[in-house]
Amino acid sequence: MKSDNFLKLWVGLFVLAFFAYLFGPLILMSVTAFNSSAFPRVAPWECFSVEWFNVLVQDDKLMHGLRNSLIIGAGVVLIAVPIGLAGALMLTQVSARVRPIYYTIVISPILVPGVVLGISTLIFWDRLGSMFGAEYDSFFYDGIFLTIIGQSTFIAAYAMLVFISRLQRFDPALEEAALDLGATHVQTFRKVLLPFLKPAVGSAAVLAFLASFENYNTTVFTIVSESTLTTVLASKVRYGINPSISALAVIIVALTLLGAVIYEIMQRRELAAEKAAAKVAADAETAGVATTTPVATRASKAGAFADPAVFIVLLVFAAGLGTVYFAGTYGLEECKVRVAEQKRALTKKRVKERQTLEMFKGAAPSEDTGAAGGGQPKIEAKGTEGYRGIFDPGNLEGQVESEKNGKVEAKGTEGYRGIFDPGNLEGQVDSSEQQ
Amino acid sequence: MIQYFQDFFHRHGTALSIFLLVTVGFWIFLMIVLPQAFMLDFSFRFNLPPAKVGGPEDVYTLSNYKFMVYGSAGNPDSFNVIDVTVFFRTILAAIFVTVFDLALCYPIAFYLAQVAHGGWARLMVLSLIVPFWVNEILRAFAFRIMFGSNGVINSFLITVGIVDEPIDLIGANIALYAGLGYAFILLMIFPLYNAIESLDKNQIEAARDLGSPWWRIHWRVVMPFAKPGITSGCTMVFMLSAGALAAPQILGGPSSLWFTQIIYQWFNTGGNWPRGSAYAIILLVSCIVLVLLMMRLFKVRLGEIGR
Repeated sequence: MKSDNFLKLWVGLFVLAFFAYLFGPLILMSVTAFNSSAFPRVAPWECFSVEWFNVLVQDDKLMHGLRNSLIIGAGVVLIAVPIGLAGALMLTQVSARVRPIYYTIVISPILVPGVVLGISTLIFWDRLGSMFGAEYDSFFYDGIFLTIIGQSTFIAAYAMLVFISRLQRFDPALEEAALDLGATHVQTFRKVLLPFLKPAVGSAAVLAFLASFENYNTTVFTIVSESTLTTVLASKVRYGINPSISALAVIIVALTLLGAVIYEIMQRRELAAEKAAAKVAADAETAGVATTTPVATRASKAGAFADPAVFIVLLVFAAGLGTVYFAGTYGLEECKVRVAEQKRALTKKRVKERQTLEMFKGAAPSEDTGAAGGGQPKIEAKGTEGYRGIFDPGNLEGQVESEKNGKVEAKGTEGYRGIFDPGNLEGQVDSSEQQ
Repeated sequence: MIQYFQDFFHRHGTALSIFLLVTVGFWIFLMIVLPQAFMLDFSFRFNLPPAKVGGPEDVYTLSNYKFMVYGSAGNPDSFNVIDVTVFFRTILAAIFVTVFDLALCYPIAFYLAQVAHGGWARLMVLSLIVPFWVNEILRAFAFRIMFGSNGVINSFLITVGIVDEPIDLIGANIALYAGLGYAFILLMIFPLYNAIESLDKNQIEAARDLGSPWWRIHWRVVMPFAKPGITSGCTMVFMLSAGALAAPQILGGPSSLWFTQIIYQWFNTGGNWPRGSAYAIILLVSCIVLVLLMMRLFKVRLGEIGR
């Protein structure tokens, strides 16, 4: 019994650690979006701010990429969902001998690395284009078209899996009944099978859009000279990062959470409605009355926005948004000034410490001061994160400081570089004094 | 054959038949089979300027594959050290990520499928899915913030006093493995979950009543039963992590390349598409061969995967 409890404790800890691994990175990233520090980090915390959201919205490249991503997502939904539907229906039609081969072929795009899919799509349409002698601005070379096709290759297989799992629950007797009652095959398809598959169409479309929206491996090859949100993000993340990317993540995480909560609420409603329907049906049966179940159908048909719980969630979400925005702008400037002052004080202290150290070392010949001056900017860079904090008010001070010390060395050959620097004059005076 | 098509048209009506045949045909031929065939063909050709394509110089060659193995003509070593090393390191790292994910996800999948009930289980499944709606790049970015030299992990280690200086977690590829493992958790958990869920609880009870300790129950009862799910999850995680590009680009250390990055270089900065295709074919074929070998080893059939 004792070991059983011990085991339970371990399982609990493991589950906890697992979810920490799952959510930790996302939470930390979201937190960095509200720190005014120019480098995305949690500590040291500077000021609570929403300015990175403004930076994000004003980023034209990202917005252009976002627009392309939305277009591509819509295109993929329009292509991949019908293909997936046809693929799933086809699976039920092909003979048992062909089925394994067919299944292997259509499922393969899921297993083939996205990079390979992107490359093969790119090459295929490129060769086709050159075979037909197409112009370079025709669709054979158009990044958006190629990306839609390339992504649909494997997203259609996802959609197909969704339809297959729905079809497995389909009762063939329904189809037979419709045919017996004189419906044509096409009518049966449209009036019986399609309505049954309708929920699956919705979830396949959502899945397809999300898969397209976040795809990178295939897109990066097929997009050619265009850009999508992910390719813009990738190049941003690779070459210098700032918290506006975290701000984007916050938006996406918030939307995802909102979607999940609404989905959960609606799912619970549906369960409740189903239970109610079952109860009504059971009651009717005992009473011996044939009845349809208007209550249940009405309940399940009620739109998402009419649902009070969903409405409350949306309201809370909006209120939270407003509060955060207000808190992020209120008192921001004062806080920034304060942080800048703190930084300046820290820098000054460090410089002073350094100077005292030099003094204790004894009289410094000019070469030595030069070397020390050369070393100085490094310390400065550590304090203010180098060029990353280039727009930080506290930074200017540091630069002036380092200019002052660096000048000794630089004066001979490169003195003219900082000729317009306000700190320059002082620095020169300083260095001539030292010399 | 004709009889078959007549049957087909009769059963579905002309419009629906045409829709099915055209759509599936477009998918299989223009999107799956022909592009792969063209890529294979392309990988056996020289890198020619557009004007010379189709000319007398446009002949088949093995040079792109030779380059992968032996390197350029002026290569002093007996084989292409950089590319071959990167290739094997990628495969090994992908295997490592797969094993890591399996070890991480198996207990969770078991917990979800057999232990947790009702609302709590639903909540857990939902919270598993939520992180995977967030963009792949953003997830990698989150790991970069965490594992940076002044990131949370290093600050924590320094505060606790385990280390004095920040460790270069990105350079040591720890961030990369953590990020890749994270990216494919969902692909591992769901096949495992589906497999374990269908296991009859009585079997576990029986094993327990007969005095089996918990680890033997897993080893002799649950795992053999869940073998198709385990294979399916491992196959997907292995293939996708070997073919990953975003995470290695963002989280990879400056000195370590992922094989897909070399392919990417041949297409972008290298400007040699045939060679890039040859490398992609090498990646694809060796991954498939490895997966088939593993399936042979664990006696699982291909048809059981992806269900």
